[in-house]
Amino acid sequence: MRGIGVRPHRARRATGDSQTDEPLARDQAVRLVIEVCERAATGDMEARVPVLGGSEQAVRFRSAVNGLLDHVDAFVREAGAASAAAAEGRFHRRFLTQGLAGTFRAAAEQITHSNQVMSRTAAQFAEAARQRQALADDLESAVLTVSEQVATAATEMGRSANGLADFARVAVTDAERGLGTVSSLRSSSDEIRHAVDLINQVAAQTRLLALNATIEAARAGSAGRGFGVVANEVKNLANETSASSEQIMNQVNTVQQSAADAIGVLEAVTNRIREMSGLVEGIALAVDGGRHTDNAGLSQLAEVLRAEVSRFVTTIRES
Amino acid sequence: MKNTRVRPTGRERTFSEDELIVTKTDPRGSITYANDVFLRMSALHEEDALGQPHNLIRHPDMPRAVFKLLWDTLKDRREMFAYVVNLAADGAHYWVFAHVTPSYDDTGRVVGYHSNRRVPSRSAVTAADDLYRVLRAAESRHDRPQDAVAAGHAALQQILAERNRTYDELVWDLSAGGAR
Repeated sequence: MRGIGVRPHRARRATGDSQTDEPLARDQAVRLVIEVCERAATGDMEARVPVLGGSEQAVRFRSAVNGLLDHVDAFVREAGAASAAAAEGRFHRRFLTQGLAGTFRAAAEQITHSNQVMSRTAAQFAEAARQRQALADDLESAVLTVSEQVATAATEMGRSANGLADFARVAVTDAERGLGTVSSLRSSSDEIRHAVDLINQVAAQTRLLALNATIEAARAGSAGRGFGVVANEVKNLANETSASSEQIMNQVNTVQQSAADAIGVLEAVTNRIREMSGLVEGIALAVDGGRHTDNAGLSQLAEVLRAEVSRFVTTIRES
Repeated sequence: MKNTRVRPTGRERTFSEDELIVTKTDPRGSITYANDVFLRMSALHEEDALGQPHNLIRHPDMPRAVFKLLWDTLKDRREMFAYVVNLAADGAHYWVFAHVTPSYDDTGRVVGYHSNRRVPSRSAVTAADDLYRVLRAAESRHDRPQDAVAAGHAALQQILAERNRTYDELVWDLSAGGAR
């Protein structure tokens, strides 16, 4: 440690002999001040000028140099501490301008102003961050609600589509059974037609037989009159049979026509239901997704959306 | 320490807005430098101040807890702000807004402490006086110094908690109120 600076010194009172050793004392004093100034110039603000002498000049000289050092010291400490505080976000800590004058004060006020600007910017950043957080919260909750609703709707739609598909399958089966029934009706009426043809043939032969019997009865004269009446009755029966057969054939034709119409209608209905089944399967595929394809169903899409938004929101919150 | 305690006269001394009261101490708190404003305000000759502990100018109105906080903060290598009432050797007192910082050498070692004191605003002095009265009352209920410090500290923490401020923020609140 050099013989100057911050350790205690006994103040020397002005004495009578200050007059005699003044040149020596002055050299000594100048040397002390130079050393202090050199230390201060290299950034050592701890050095201060010790007592130089008792004369008024010596006291004022010392006081002036030390006062300068005190103000530079104060400015340096304030500048460092105020900037550090601003960097740490402690904007309540301002630059103290009291005790500083002139350019010291002007620079101090500039630093105070800069810190206030930094403070406002920091506050704006904080507000923007807060708004972003709030936006992230809103987005997350909105997407969560939407994805839940979509998932619910998808489940509901899937269930309805499955129900519709089951219904269509049953309807097709029923229609096919109806088709079978009507087809068998047609084949039955074909058999009836065959039977009626047979009856017609029998009636024709009977009529021929009755004609022969009438001729034979006429030839027998009065003895054959009774037989002739019977033969005539047989002919009438054969004619009635033919007429009835005619009617039956007309009825059967009508039935066959109706059956053909019914078959056409049933086939059309079955085709429509099959088309509907295809559409319903399309809906089910859109809702549930394909088992072996890359299509994701509605529920999966909602889940993907929710996961993506959640990732996005997490990133925003951490930034 | 001096044997004869100075009795406060209640007379207040002030200094100008342009002035700085400056002292430096060694790491133990003994005064190594005192500027002319300090000596004038404290009514001390330089030789009476140098080498003395800094509580040479301690006023009985100052709560112990504030000095405890001061030393804790400095040991933590942080700056400390405080409103302080000091007692001059002639019994007068003077209020300051003190800013105490550690001084470091080139290697970052603490070689002492530096205190700059500025003129506080009247409103800040009034507020600090009220606050210290509360802390003093808490401290005066205890005989042992460490109990008194603990009580004063607890009272301070309670007040800060009620106002939801840190000590630093409270000090700067007072400063802002006076600056405008």
